[in-house]
Amino acid sequence: MSHTNPVAIAAVSEMKPGRYPDKDGYDLYIEVIRQFLSEWSLKPSDIQGLLACPSGMAGGGSNDIFVHEQLYEELGIKPLFADTMNAGGSTYGLMVQRAVLAIQQGKVDSVLCVGAGKFPKVSTGGAESMARMVSHEIYEFPYGTFIPALYAQVATRHMHEYGTTAEQLAEVCVSSRDWALLNPDASTYGGEALTVEKVRQSRPIASPFNLYDCSIPLEGGAAFLVCNEAYAKRLNKQPAYVLGMGEFHNHRNIHQATSLTDIGCSKSGQQAYTMAGLRPSDMDFAEIYDAFSINPLVFMEELGLCPKGKGGQFFQSGAARPGGDFPVNTFGGLLSFGHTGDASGMSMIVEGIRQIMGIAGERQLDKANAGIVHSYGGMMSEHSTLILGRSA
Amino acid sequence: MSDVTSAATTPPAKPQPRITDCAAPYWQHAKDNKLVLPYCGECDASFYYPRLWCPACFNQDISWKQLSGKGTVYSYSVIYQSPLPSYQEDLPYVLAIIELDEGPRMMANVLNCDVDKVRVDMAVEVVFEARGDMKIPQFQPA
Repeated sequence: MSHTNPVAIAAVSEMKPGRYPDKDGYDLYIEVIRQFLSEWSLKPSDIQGLLACPSGMAGGGSNDIFVHEQLYEELGIKPLFADTMNAGGSTYGLMVQRAVLAIQQGKVDSVLCVGAGKFPKVSTGGAESMARMVSHEIYEFPYGTFIPALYAQVATRHMHEYGTTAEQLAEVCVSSRDWALLNPDASTYGGEALTVEKVRQSRPIASPFNLYDCSIPLEGGAAFLVCNEAYAKRLNKQPAYVLGMGEFHNHRNIHQATSLTDIGCSKSGQQAYTMAGLRPSDMDFAEIYDAFSINPLVFMEELGLCPKGKGGQFFQSGAARPGGDFPVNTFGGLLSFGHTGDASGMSMIVEGIRQIMGIAGERQLDKANAGIVHSYGGMMSEHSTLILGRSA
Repeated sequence: MSDVTSAATTPPAKPQPRITDCAAPYWQHAKDNKLVLPYCGECDASFYYPRLWCPACFNQDISWKQLSGKGTVYSYSVIYQSPLPSYQEDLPYVLAIIELDEGPRMMANVLNCDVDKVRVDMAVEVVFEARGDMKIPQFQPA
């Protein structure tokens, strides 16, 4: 990014994922911001822009489409740049991208990106409202759509084209759990390690997925501050520079995807590598949105981090696990950290930032000079790729 | 949902699609057990789902063409556990993406087939399922 002014993320905070029955989506927002402000020493003038996301989508409600207005007023700031935006899981990756452009244009020196999410229990009509939300009302939903079965279309096709096995999918879950056991904030911290056998013996949901192939629905939220370099350095000795970024919007409904094994991630990834002037081999780690076990496996391939069709073998090799050659989802992934509904697209960005800053605790990587963070919205519909690094 | 398996309760009706203006011919022909899709003369191609323009070239001069109803399973999943009340009695059921011989892909269930026998690339043919006063295209082994 040498041709433009460097932009970096200087401060980050995330709630521990859990169930917060006494808090609605807005209450979670306030808690996220309270925690963020308590962890970082900021003045109101340090936040010149604000991007937020509706927090009630996963519950089927969207009555907070103006949430940014309430938040900037409650924060006590009058921003020069603000919006409520939503692109599902890719919202927060795209927030970084919008913030970078606003900062490079000179509109603002800093933008607070914030998200909070509720997640309905799947047994209380929540799964139906979510299925309605992510499948075509007329041409998909009447066929009894169910989110795991929509994702499973990609898994089944990958197994068909490349010989990927359910056991290889299970390896993704095993790897993520090993990382979560090193992360005190993960919902499964203090629990048991997974094995391929445990995943395969968990109850079938939608083939090829069993229960442990699915992420854990929880609630939470996170915030981070994107800044110009001078601001970032004033706030943090080691900010996380945004070296590259890319986005691609491929389809809305899964049956409309031109290919299920080249689903748009490679396009956003290539933009990010080009902008950063870096190659996949320059990456030290990857944080990849993983609602289901298939996602990291396919996206490792699409991001050029392993050969096409070899994602299963990559996870089977153990390379993604703690101590492995190429760590993936070092926070435990949504599979074992927890999936915080509308805020879920925050967690992999937060971890990428922390690894670059060197504040990831017991799971801190020895080598974290550059990492790639991929998130998507919808049924792998729209994609955001970020490349973060220690120096501009 | 604990009582959905009770013999005394009638399962709720499965969803009936909303008919939009641009798709009226599609649903009208479905009532006659015909799979008829919008067709773009500029592209010489049928497309799915119905819309007011051809998504490949924006041509709005759309005609309608009956398809063979033959296709293959492009991908699928066997659903063992679903929260949808109207599908409880069908469990386990198959949610699939069907690739029609003429090219377009559509979502459907694979009916009249042991769920363990469904495979990618399996040959299927259209069959119509009543939904209220409508019919929707479904697929079964050819």
